[in-house]
Amino acid sequence: MANPRFSIGDEVTVRDETTLFHTRTQKFARGRTGVVVEHRPEWVIPEDEAFDRMETGRKEPFYVVRFKQTELWPGYTGQSIDTLESEFSERWLVPA
Amino acid sequence: MTSMHDGHDGHNTFPVSSKVSEFEILELAVRELAIEKGIFSAEDHRRFAEWADGVGPHGGSKLVAKAWSDPAFKEKLLTKGTEACKEVGIDWLQPTGTGTPSDYTFFYVLENTPKVHNVIVCTLCSCYPRPVLGMSPDWYRTPAYRRRMVNRPREVLAEFGLHLPDDVEVRVHDSNQKSRFMVMPMRPDGTEGWSEQELAEIVTRDTMIGVALPDPKVRVPVPAGEVHQ
Amino acid sequence: MTEARRYGVLHETLDDIGERTDVSLRCIEHEPEVWESRMQVTCECLSEGGALDNLERRHLEDRLGETVYARFPVQTRSALTVAHTLMDRGFFDEEELRSKMDQVREKMTVD
Repeated sequence: MANPRFSIGDEVTVRDETTLFHTRTQKFARGRTGVVVEHRPEWVIPEDEAFDRMETGRKEPFYVVRFKQTELWPGYTGQSIDTLESEFSERWLVPA
Repeated sequence: MTSMHDGHDGHNTFPVSSKVSEFEILELAVRELAIEKGIFSAEDHRRFAEWADGVGPHGGSKLVAKAWSDPAFKEKLLTKGTEACKEVGIDWLQPTGTGTPSDYTFFYVLENTPKVHNVIVCTLCSCYPRPVLGMSPDWYRTPAYRRRMVNRPREVLAEFGLHLPDDVEVRVHDSNQKSRFMVMPMRPDGTEGWSEQELAEIVTRDTMIGVALPDPKVRVPVPAGEVHQ
Repeated sequence: MTEARRYGVLHETLDDIGERTDVSLRCIEHEPEVWESRMQVTCECLSEGGALDNLERRHLEDRLGETVYARFPVQTRSALTVAHTLMDRGFFDEEELRSKMDQVREKMTVD
């Protein structure tokens, strides 16, 4: 993988951007902070893939980010140890 | 229907009848019109249908049973998911040579432990590991499951009859990108000395989604041998 | 967001399938009928062919399924949404669908 910007264990915040483009970054994750727990293979970002640019689309590293549920949902009713994991392309993440 | 739903009084709306239903007619009419308009071909449809008919949750059941029985295979399954699948006859590149449009080929198995219980959901659409689990159940595709599993997982699990201790972390995996996930439940007590085939029969679909736990008393038949694709 | 169109040909199928009765997630569990599996296959073909992307369809299913088709059982959402959207997009119109359904009905009940 070509030099991923983030390492496992890094704290990252998901960009809080609205977008008119096809994205797979959930609203509930935007602006939230979690920890990188795994790297994923580079892949064409969904913003380009949606326009059928699998050959020419921009490729980026992807990361699995683990959030504490209490970080995502202020009124979370489960246990404080509960977590949620999801994947993000590099452009959606900034250092926390 | 998995037998773990036994005892549920059911609210199905399908009467058993030999009459052709209006939805059978609608489905075929839409398909024929799409073919006539050149959106896809009858061959495209047949190829996908043949593939869809061939897959069910048995592949996943066999993977878990084999991993429970063979530590080396378990290691491979957890680190090289798609490669390990080939050992039970599942090729993630089928039926197109590149997978289906909505099942790309990064496959990861999530291991439950005494401290972590995994469960899968796709809030954006309904991504599902179809090569290993077959078609997703209706409830998996409903907004009620997709929206609530992320923010009220313990409540939703309780609706499925699964009550986890407070000190077990519930870890929800929202498959929002190209990865597909399957849960590997813990092997329950009372299965010592069981064959892989016997073990596979308690690894039901719901246990691999993460909304249930294997129960040695609840078995569903799994065809022996490799998965037919 | 504009209000969804109303297609009589789709609403007329409600009598046959019956009103939605599920009250919780577990109640929706049922063994899929053959047409449901075939419909999912059609959805894959439409997504691959670029006529209706899977993610977009799921959003439409959510929106239409909770509004115009709220009375229909959950398992009918893909079929209704696909037919509805292909008509909205002009791939075929309501009359074409109605006459195709008549043709299919005749073909399937003749034996």
